[in-house]
Amino acid sequence: MTLTRLTSRVAAALAVLALSACAAAPSATTPGASTSAPATPQRGGTITYGRAAAVTSFDLNNQITANNAFAIDKVFEPLVSFDTTGKIVPWLAEKWDVSSDQLTYAFTLREGLQFSDGTPVTARDAKFSLERHLEVEGPLPLQAPIADITATDDRTLTISLKSAYTPFLSELSGFSNGIFPAGFGGRSEKEFFAAPVGTGPWVVESWDPSGDTTFRANPHYWQQGKPYADTLVYKVVADDTQRIQQLQAGQLSGIENVAPATIASLKADPNVTVSELGSWEVEQVFFNTQNAYFADRHVRRAIALSLDRDALTQAVTFGAAQTVKTLIPPTIQYAADVKALDNDPAAAKEELAASAFPQGFTATLLIASGNSVRTQEAQIIQEAVKPLGITLKIESVELNDFRERFFAYKFDAMINSGQSDAPDPDGLIAFQTDPEGFSKSYWTHYTNDRVTALAAQGRATPDGEERARIYAEIQQILADDVPYIPLYNTKNVVASLASVHGLTPRINGSVLFQDVWLAP
Amino acid sequence: MSTTTAAVRPSVRWLRRARRTPALVAGTAILVVVGVVAVLAPVIAPYDPASQDLGNGLAPPSAAHWFGTDQLGRDILSRVMAAAATDLRIAVLAALVPLVVGVTIGLVSGYVGGWGDWLIGRVVDTFVAFPFYVLVITVVFAAGAGERGIYLAYALVGWITYARVIRARTRTLCREGWVQAARGGGLSHGRVLFGHLLPNVAPLAVVLLMTEILLIMVAVVTLGYLGLGVQPPTPDWGTMISDGQLFLTTRWWVPTLPGLAVVLTGVGLSLTGDGLADVWRLR
Amino acid sequence: MRWVGRSLLSVVPVVVGVVLCVFFLLRIVPGDPAAMILGERATTASIEALRHRLGLDLPLAQQLSDWLVGVFTRGDVGTSLVTSQPVLGLVGSRAGLTALLVLLSVVFTVLIVVPLALLAATHKDGVLDHLVRIVPTVGMAMPAFWVGLILILLFGVQLRWLPVGGVGTGPGEPLRSLVLPALTVALGMAPPLVRALREQLVEVLDADFVVTLRAARLPSWRVQAHVLRNAAVPTVSLLGLNIAYLIGGTLVVEKVFALNGLGALLFSSISSRDFPVVQGIALVLALAVVGVSLLTDGLVALLDPRVRTA
Repeated sequence: MTLTRLTSRVAAALAVLALSACAAAPSATTPGASTSAPATPQRGGTITYGRAAAVTSFDLNNQITANNAFAIDKVFEPLVSFDTTGKIVPWLAEKWDVSSDQLTYAFTLREGLQFSDGTPVTARDAKFSLERHLEVEGPLPLQAPIADITATDDRTLTISLKSAYTPFLSELSGFSNGIFPAGFGGRSEKEFFAAPVGTGPWVVESWDPSGDTTFRANPHYWQQGKPYADTLVYKVVADDTQRIQQLQAGQLSGIENVAPATIASLKADPNVTVSELGSWEVEQVFFNTQNAYFADRHVRRAIALSLDRDALTQAVTFGAAQTVKTLIPPTIQYAADVKALDNDPAAAKEELAASAFPQGFTATLLIASGNSVRTQEAQIIQEAVKPLGITLKIESVELNDFRERFFAYKFDAMINSGQSDAPDPDGLIAFQTDPEGFSKSYWTHYTNDRVTALAAQGRATPDGEERARIYAEIQQILADDVPYIPLYNTKNVVASLASVHGLTPRINGSVLFQDVWLAP
Repeated sequence: MSTTTAAVRPSVRWLRRARRTPALVAGTAILVVVGVVAVLAPVIAPYDPASQDLGNGLAPPSAAHWFGTDQLGRDILSRVMAAAATDLRIAVLAALVPLVVGVTIGLVSGYVGGWGDWLIGRVVDTFVAFPFYVLVITVVFAAGAGERGIYLAYALVGWITYARVIRARTRTLCREGWVQAARGGGLSHGRVLFGHLLPNVAPLAVVLLMTEILLIMVAVVTLGYLGLGVQPPTPDWGTMISDGQLFLTTRWWVPTLPGLAVVLTGVGLSLTGDGLADVWRLR
Repeated sequence: MRWVGRSLLSVVPVVVGVVLCVFFLLRIVPGDPAAMILGERATTASIEALRHRLGLDLPLAQQLSDWLVGVFTRGDVGTSLVTSQPVLGLVGSRAGLTALLVLLSVVFTVLIVVPLALLAATHKDGVLDHLVRIVPTVGMAMPAFWVGLILILLFGVQLRWLPVGGVGTGPGEPLRSLVLPALTVALGMAPPLVRALREQLVEVLDADFVVTLRAARLPSWRVQAHVLRNAAVPTVSLLGLNIAYLIGGTLVVEKVFALNGLGALLFSSISSRDFPVVQGIALVLALAVVGVSLLTDGLVALLDPRVRTA
């Protein structure tokens, strides 16, 4: 077997750069910070981070939601990671070799890598971790066609695939592919995840599954000198307004999920730093194509034409998001510049006239209650389609009910968001266009054989122009067929006290707290 | 005022007393104004409460929009007016079933006594031991957010207050002797209950009704704040306050003006209830 | 002491009633806890498997009897479906904060109600009396969350005297954090209580012994002290009657001030359909309400011997 060295010195250099500099990449407005001398990181202190929900589990293979993901990724780390632009960078693996047929990946672990209890990390631990994930599957299963995982020696892990799968590294960068000790370090699963041991910068000190979580710095962390702070506390403050007020009062060091409506007033506060970075999430209107009205392509096109996405985005996010025309957010490679139907009321009328329902109809728009942004969006869409003679009744149901409804296709149209878990377009495309997949084209039941064939091609085509062409075609077909209307790409917005340095979001919304330090 | 009060008919005497009760006068005046605005909202509101102007969101109060505009550029004044209709309608409708059920249960259990009374007493105790919002929130979750959930929740819990108070009053009345006299005079239980006892407890029930409507209105608004109340796009004070909460420090009028509408209506209801209690000498 | 036995006897049906009510109400709530736990990417098979593991596929009657047997034989209120923690521990860890808030609210309520009622009663039909009767109507018309928001804005954001929310750490901080929430609850509780107590005080003031005391030319503060002692009975029983309402009020106020007490746990458990936790909270709250009622009954009996013989 001939192995082609893919990881050049350039990539390694980039990685080092990414490790040291990625915290500076997101746009941060720090009033007053520019006046102080180039700051040198200070050691010690406690970072108190206000979060919307409690950490309910550290079982990385069985979790998906942000409340758990952003705690799990403090304790467990994957072989590879991604930088602020979504590029794959070395993490626990310092390099990897890929065979020319794209079927064999050989990862080399960093030297001297240790778990937080001081035991060395070997390839056997990595093998155990990934195999458990394959066995568990969970909400973020390893989709790659993995044939075999072998611990070749202490530091080399070899994974072979049944067929070429381009998104493989991107998939491995997810938090659910973190590495933990083989055999759970001799403990039961339950015991292990109650007091987890990983390679991450933080160690769980105390954890209340319905309240706060306290981490202390991992003394064996592989990034020399980090984390800077001694303690990290995740404090649950569910209410948006309360989080902001507690930050402004100095009761918290930083907060996540800053409501778009409040960004402007927070930026005006000299004691607060706001930091934003594009996300992997795209807000969308989904049509159930099994519904008589929305099965009609003309109807879907007419609705898309009657929406003014820019005005909608501005009104509900106050400019804190970017209007998009395709389901792949601009933060992920291969987002195409498609010709989309947008804001043309006259054309909308013509389009509806060509449908089976030229006089309009009455249908419902399903949303989850308790999300004020979606409520506003629903009202805007409702007003926008009124001139067409379409009456959209807003049906607002509780989140759990909402999920059950769309899982069972009991909706006409709904507002929801598509969120990628990795910096590769394949995940989103598979989730939103595969009528045979578990999500049935995001429960729209949209079926287009050409798209399905292209998606399979894209998965196996190596990165490059050919892959770009494939994804561009898919996105244009979707823009013309409109099984869903992409509205905007949200931003991850976090805020911190001005005395807290380096508290910036990653592209998935998490924060690398090992880089955060507190000014005295 | 003349000293010949005894000669005037009771209803006239009642009106005179009512006119001399400032709380009642002020309360009914407020309620009449709010009621008229609510009923005439579609006619007198300057704008369609649903019509949006996305480019003119969160505008401060001006000549064109006296109360400013909300996030979607809708006229807040028109929405506050339309919300008066929504919230008053819900509060009044939701108060009716509990009134009838509560008064009936209170009358019957107070009149019958014995183990029936004991049983009803225990049921009442159970509901009293229930922190009110725990029950309402669970019911609203079960029935779905919005008007339906609110009606159902109140039908379940609203009758308690009436039952408790009316039962106590009925028992006092029963001890007064004239009930036994009426029964001895050959009147049926039904006649005694509804012909004689009911008119005696009715004023008390009306005063309670005012308080209950107030409490329901406050609860509807609170549910709106919790995201469980009236669903959009129907205008409702609670949802307006909750939507505007994010702007409390930067654009105070968005959440504050609907809040003041709640307080004004509440004061009207409360004063009316107080005034009636005074006029009927229920204190 | 027969009333003790009788009161205790009346407790059982009340608590059982509350628990049954909550149990069945929860089962009508649409939404499956298993689907909620597994999230949007769960498969039907994995949801079914989890339902089985959690015992949610058992008949309702069996779920209920299993739970009741656990409660009465082992004192085991169940295990959280979401976090797998014992419900009792979970509820216990939250109950402290809520209890403290309730206690502080009662103290504030008494501090507001007693002086105002006394003022109104001693100046019966005067300007002060009318003021004390009218002003609270405004308070009654204000939703608690609204009062809370205004207090936060005033004392937290503008004046920065008190924390805006959450519970601070450090000496005295937790208590300081509870001042505004307790004040919010007290302001909501006070209006009807002020009126009720005023009525009672007016009666006491007209009572023979006060007239006698006055005739004996006792200083007015001593008369008032006597009045107050006699007013204690109605105050205590009024508070006892309203304790459920007060606890209900604290649950909403906890949300406004982001306090991680029973209210927060209740909201999150209802949303995630964590049935055992909601049942546990209802049980604890019902016991607390009934316990407080018994306690106030007892206190009233101690203060006022007439009750015992009645």
